[in-house]
Amino acid sequence: MSKKIGFTCAYTPVPLIEAAGFSPFRIFPESKAPDQAGHLLHDNLCPHVKKVLDRALEDDLPELEGMVFINSCDSMRRLADAWHEARPDDPIVLLDLPSGINSLSLDFLSKEYKRLAKILFKWNSEPFSIKKIKNEVAKWNLLAASVKKIEDTMSKDFFPGYASGLQQIINTAATDSTDKALLMAQNKIDPEKPVKDGQSPVFVFGNLLFDPKVYDLFEEWNVHVTASDFCTTSRFVTPVDTATDDNIFRALASSYMEQTPCARTMDTAKPGDIAQKIVQRAKESNARGVIGFTLKFCDPYLARIPMIRQALQKESIPFLMLEGDCTMGSMGQQQTRIEAFTEMLGV
Amino acid sequence: MMYDHFDNAVKGITDKLNQDPEGINARKKYVLELSRLGKKLYSKDENIAWCGVTAPFDLLGSMGVTSCFVEFVGAMLSSTQTADYFFEEAEDSGFATDSCAYHRAVMGAVLKNAMPRPDFIIGTSSPCTAGLAVMENFAHQYKKDFFLLNVPQNYTQDAIKYLSAQLEEMVRFVSDHTKRPLSKQKLGIALENFNASSQLLKEIYDLAKTKPSPVDNNILKDFGTVITLLMGTQEGVDICQAFKDELNHRIKTSFNHASKEKIRLMWIQNRIQYPFPINEMLDDLGAVIVVDELNDVTWEPMDPDKPFESIAKRMISIPFSMDASERIKHLQDLAVAYRIDGAINPCHWGCRQGTGIRGLISKGFKDINVPVLNLEIDCVDSRNLAKGQIETRVEAFLEMLS
Repeated sequence: MSKKIGFTCAYTPVPLIEAAGFSPFRIFPESKAPDQAGHLLHDNLCPHVKKVLDRALEDDLPELEGMVFINSCDSMRRLADAWHEARPDDPIVLLDLPSGINSLSLDFLSKEYKRLAKILFKWNSEPFSIKKIKNEVAKWNLLAASVKKIEDTMSKDFFPGYASGLQQIINTAATDSTDKALLMAQNKIDPEKPVKDGQSPVFVFGNLLFDPKVYDLFEEWNVHVTASDFCTTSRFVTPVDTATDDNIFRALASSYMEQTPCARTMDTAKPGDIAQKIVQRAKESNARGVIGFTLKFCDPYLARIPMIRQALQKESIPFLMLEGDCTMGSMGQQQTRIEAFTEMLGV
Repeated sequence: MMYDHFDNAVKGITDKLNQDPEGINARKKYVLELSRLGKKLYSKDENIAWCGVTAPFDLLGSMGVTSCFVEFVGAMLSSTQTADYFFEEAEDSGFATDSCAYHRAVMGAVLKNAMPRPDFIIGTSSPCTAGLAVMENFAHQYKKDFFLLNVPQNYTQDAIKYLSAQLEEMVRFVSDHTKRPLSKQKLGIALENFNASSQLLKEIYDLAKTKPSPVDNNILKDFGTVITLLMGTQEGVDICQAFKDELNHRIKTSFNHASKEKIRLMWIQNRIQYPFPINEMLDDLGAVIVVDELNDVTWEPMDPDKPFESIAKRMISIPFSMDASERIKHLQDLAVAYRIDGAINPCHWGCRQGTGIRGLISKGFKDINVPVLNLEIDCVDSRNLAKGQIETRVEAFLEMLS
């Protein structure tokens, strides 16, 4: 069995984990572990973080060689803090992630990514190798290109089962290996089922929506997901632009910071740009409406929803905002609202 | 409306101080200076910057910028009981009720056009992501330029260099907007004032450690956070001196006789901002908040030859913004230094940064045998206040301690 490195945030570059000889294991907030995280942290905290901590407290995890945390938001910082208590024997690395995108931030993050790489190689007693990192990045980019092709196909027509298939590929990259995910992606580029008409084209965005079955449910509820922006979908499979910078860590830093960032990252030259990006992606993917799924207590998203709503209104794009824990378990409660929304959109 | 509020406050406090020219009246002098700052913010004659909590107000002040962190306004709206109107506006516009009420209040004020229009925005990534999100909203709403200081969480050489370089960039950004270059002489004076204020703060906090403590439950309320707005100025130094004088005077005159101080408490994070008689309740039961978590000097003196590096170190050094182990160690050190009997943690609703480690803080205090009372309360939004329940819990906690 391969040695696994746990992580929780999409700003974690998987190629660094694999280059050091580990398998990535993204800890999804899905577990039957009882709710205990509130005792260590607080109940009014993001359900993603709490459920991941519940898994740690209940030992509902595979054997891990270490954990990578990113201080992407307050809740993620708190998760790293609590991990020391929940699993004191796990080696942990916490990366400082800048909030704004500029030259200084990219320099700083590239140093942080280099620090991460060195630590990972050390954890595995492997000699540090830029060559291995570049090889893994190249493989990752092939996966990203395949995912992009699937997304392009998705945006044009509705193929039943296609969206959940894409999610399975991405989850494989997050919890197993890029090689396996790449193989799956190459086999799935051509849809298995024929085009079906009558679904409402919708762009979906938010924090995370990782369960492939959710996308099957959407189809049952008349939704054609034309594109998505979650840290468990396209945002996770970030292509690394190696053409612009010889320094691989700088290339990683600029790619992860600049491409469709999470709400917590901002371009200070364009405050509120997240709203424009969502409008743009909805339009590009031929969506007629937009559904936002955000985690309860997620400050970065909740604070930006008003500006997103305003931007979509300005473009007359209908918007449905849903809040919850973004798991299958809570999705059933949203059925009526989603069905009413797609009905309103018409086809 | 706000200008009038601050103007009336300045006039009222000045009158009272004039009636007692020999008195020390530290808190009055402090509130007077904050009211003057408020008046300047709303006067429309100044270069205004709305900022994050850890922004370098001494540096901005030396560049002729009147600056303030937005949470100050949120607290003020709450304390004057005008916040509800602004909460409703923010919530109607889609800002979630689960969010921090300091930020919801100011967003409502922005939407109601009740905040002074800034010339630019200086956001800080510490102490919290929610505060930074509000800064981005400010820049978006006002269509003003936005400068962001990424404050790393880890105190490393790389982190210090990174923040120092950002501070230098910030100076260029500010100069571009004000058309005034940084005067090394003015910055030198600001840092000198900052150092003098810091030294006085240390002395004030040392006096507060005395048993019985010369402080009462109100005198140093939220002092450590708010005084940073003034520390680069002579007025800031004078205020710190007045507090030191007042505490010394109290010690000499046995203001807090030993029989009055039965229980020594620590208050974690910020105080409750709206009128709520918790101080009176604590007074009645002989409990004194001898230390607030944020009343501490955690930085070295500023080096005028390395101003940006000094300021960067200072900004990163605040334990509240660092990882939990640093923050808890700091709380434990304060608990020992102030010889407290117990701590109150008002778990401010909506604060993922401060309240998010409620359980770990409790454990940290348990490790040094100090009981903690976790109050589930919104320190700014009083609309859902369970007053009776809070009072009962505080009473029971104090009874247990005594």
